[in-house]
Amino acid sequence: MRILVLGATGHIGRRLMELLKNTNWAAPAGASRGQVAAVSSNDAVTLDTRDVPALTAALKNFDAVVNCVAGNAASISAGASALVQASLAAGCPRIVHLSTMSVYGPAEGEVREDAPLDPTLGWYGRAKCEAEAHLANYRRLGGETVILRPGCVYGPGSELWVGRTGRWLHSGRLGDLGTAGDGWSNLVHVDDVCQALMAALRLPVEPGRSPAFNLAAPDSPRWNDFFVDLALALDATPVRRISRRQLQLDAWLAGPPLKLAQPLLKLLGKKHTALPSPMPPGLLRLWAQHIRLDASLATQTLGLTWTPYPEGLQSSAAWFSEKYSPSGKMIGKPLWMH
Amino acid sequence: MISSANSIPNGACLQADVCVVGGGPAGIALTLALSEKGFSVLMLESGFLKADEKTQSLYEGEIADKHLHSPPDKYRQRRLGGSTAIWGGRCMPFDPIDFEKRDHVPHSGWPLSYEDLLPYYPEANALAEAGRFSYNAEEALGAGVAPMIRGFNSTRVRTSGLERFSCPTHFGTRYAKRLQLAPGVEVLLGANCTGVRLHPDGRTVRMIEVATLAGKRFSVAPRATVLAAGGLETARLLLASRDVALAGIGNHHDVVGRYYMCHIAGNVGMLAVHGAPGSVRHGYELAPEGVYCRRRLSVTAIEQRNLGLANAVGRLHFPRITDPAHRSGVLSGLFLARKLISYEYSKRLHDGNPPTLGTYARHLLNVVADPIDTAAFLGHWVTRRTLASRKFPSVILRNRTNRFSLEMHGEQLPQASSRVTLTDKMDALGMPQLRVDWRYNQADIESVRRTLDVFVQEFEQSGTARLEYNRSTLEEDLMRFGAYGGHHIGTTRMGHDERTSVVNADCQVHSVHNLFIAGSAVFPTSSQANPTLTLIALSLRLGDTLSRRLQTSHAAELQLLEVAA
Repeated sequence: MRILVLGATGHIGRRLMELLKNTNWAAPAGASRGQVAAVSSNDAVTLDTRDVPALTAALKNFDAVVNCVAGNAASISAGASALVQASLAAGCPRIVHLSTMSVYGPAEGEVREDAPLDPTLGWYGRAKCEAEAHLANYRRLGGETVILRPGCVYGPGSELWVGRTGRWLHSGRLGDLGTAGDGWSNLVHVDDVCQALMAALRLPVEPGRSPAFNLAAPDSPRWNDFFVDLALALDATPVRRISRRQLQLDAWLAGPPLKLAQPLLKLLGKKHTALPSPMPPGLLRLWAQHIRLDASLATQTLGLTWTPYPEGLQSSAAWFSEKYSPSGKMIGKPLWMH
Repeated sequence: MISSANSIPNGACLQADVCVVGGGPAGIALTLALSEKGFSVLMLESGFLKADEKTQSLYEGEIADKHLHSPPDKYRQRRLGGSTAIWGGRCMPFDPIDFEKRDHVPHSGWPLSYEDLLPYYPEANALAEAGRFSYNAEEALGAGVAPMIRGFNSTRVRTSGLERFSCPTHFGTRYAKRLQLAPGVEVLLGANCTGVRLHPDGRTVRMIEVATLAGKRFSVAPRATVLAAGGLETARLLLASRDVALAGIGNHHDVVGRYYMCHIAGNVGMLAVHGAPGSVRHGYELAPEGVYCRRRLSVTAIEQRNLGLANAVGRLHFPRITDPAHRSGVLSGLFLARKLISYEYSKRLHDGNPPTLGTYARHLLNVVADPIDTAAFLGHWVTRRTLASRKFPSVILRNRTNRFSLEMHGEQLPQASSRVTLTDKMDALGMPQLRVDWRYNQADIESVRRTLDVFVQEFEQSGTARLEYNRSTLEEDLMRFGAYGGHHIGTTRMGHDERTSVVNADCQVHSVHNLFIAGSAVFPTSSQANPTLTLIALSLRLGDTLSRRLQTSHAAELQLLEVAA
């Protein structure tokens, strides 16, 4: 099967490429708008996923496309729209689309795939809902789609949920949040997401159906447990109890200037970790949201074996330590402890 | 879901797999556990999310001797979260020896062992937000951690034991959202259980009567009922439900309300540790997961058996606050501010004799003469306690002199004459009020004395410290404030024998197959430990028991139908 992976240099795309190459049934190629250095040159394509003609041309050689594109609202929503148009033009390859649990909006409790989509939770959820709507169009016009809705993708390489979280734990900006961290983490290991993507590529799909699957490890804990466990694994101890007030000050007062400083850092050629990462207010909402993805459909239909949480935690911590502290300590930690 | 009991129509009869009476730590832990297992639970909570004076006054009652026990509406909170709304958060498990039948402790021996309860302690610890289930200093604080008293090694006295502290977590505010979202759970606020009604054969609960202060009356007909209303109220409910069982439910042998225990506690003696103040760990230490921990002294289980001692612990403490002779500005400041502190926490700041003007003046002088320490303490208190969401557990003074008093906390021997009964006076809902007649006996004091003697000998022998205490005032020191408030234990004790117990090892009332009790009321003995952690663990265990029982009985019904068909 000839497979084009869009977003092949991202956290998930990169790992998926590695795993696909090790199969005897997939001939993968990665496409990315950014650097494709991580993907060997003979199977790499550089293209703008919103450039329909370029995408159409690229897609002609493939049986399926995996959409792992991250980025801003435009690259998610308009990117999905372009992908649908290009796929239609290129002869309708199967699209396996990586969506998110954010499409369920502020829903709480157990959530199955048939829960209504709700775009009211901010730009990300809205863009992802729009992307799913574009895919629904594709299906109506005869295309095949499989949609995966992962929770928070962690594991080695996860800057978002391991790197950033680890730095916040080390600097005392994160810890045990009490009721503010009582929501379910819905963590899913990057390898499990890739396993699901590979199963989705080969899943028999009845015409007119668009299977969707939640992805969250059944043993993924509540956020507080993850924060405390990760802090212990990273020696970011004693773990602090963070009050809601401190979280709010961090997100709403310190957040905007730190956010503004990010493009400046980029301009100056500095690493993004040279300044503390801003804490987006949306995260505060997420950590307190008691949404629990029911992933039993993925377990049954995609035949997933989930990475046990202790294993995922350990490999995440090992990755963090290697990346940020080869000697076992945080290196180059500035005085203000980012 | 959480809703008001006043939204239920008068005369309605609600159904659920389990009806849990009481939304304190026991009821909340059990309800969440049962929901996880797929059962429907109706929780009846008398109070609301916030304190309510009228509801709280339903706890009023009589005290046989007000010097020995606080009024029954103190140390208890009739609201969602129960008394965790005001608790201090001290957590530690019972010791294996507490479950044993000990010849020197009359009526001792649980029908279950420490190992039976052990699997439930870690989750209880997590619910109480007290970190990992680890109560040994080296294990909890890391190998190489400094000992409690450097140089003190003893085979008879253990110093590596720890107590851990909850935030202190208010179970009502902490778990309201979990209850709100838990599948199959309905929490009714303002719902007072006014009676447990049995079938005429007395072996099955027919229904639970419910009343609200606004005048609504309805009932619940569950498959199983769990009374989780606290050590005093649970006995009251059983005794007051006397339409079928005339002496009250489970009370054929006059056991309900008896064997009432608290703890024997007080500040005793003076421990002078030789050497530098740095050689002693007397205050709080932080475990890696950020939980405050404190060391404690105890006589080992082997030695308790050898000497016939009840279980007890001692903590290194400061001198008696009310006596200005301590010359501590911090303690005098606390004494002067005691009127601003709640009843429960200021009790030990009032020791009977009204202070004279001279006493006030000496306390004031202490504050004025010790401004730096007093200010530093205030700063620490505001940042680490008032503003912190994990609160520094209690006042700790800087150790300058290596001199401490011992704060003893000991097991009380169970005795049938220590009891609660009903009075003729009714509360606003027509329920008879309680009369509390808490008693201790000389053996309780004697056991603490002999425990202290072991400490004295072992410190002497090690040459690291010297402990002195006044034998003639020991009883007065331990009983100055009466029963240690807030620990209500034993009124519906657990056992194999109906003649000396109310519930069996499954927490089921012996005579009623679908009536269960969660909470410290079922503890047959009181241990050295505060009861909350163990009552949560026991409630979680009850969750497993009920899950097994209800599934089995459901299966039995189905089988029966098949036979009939």
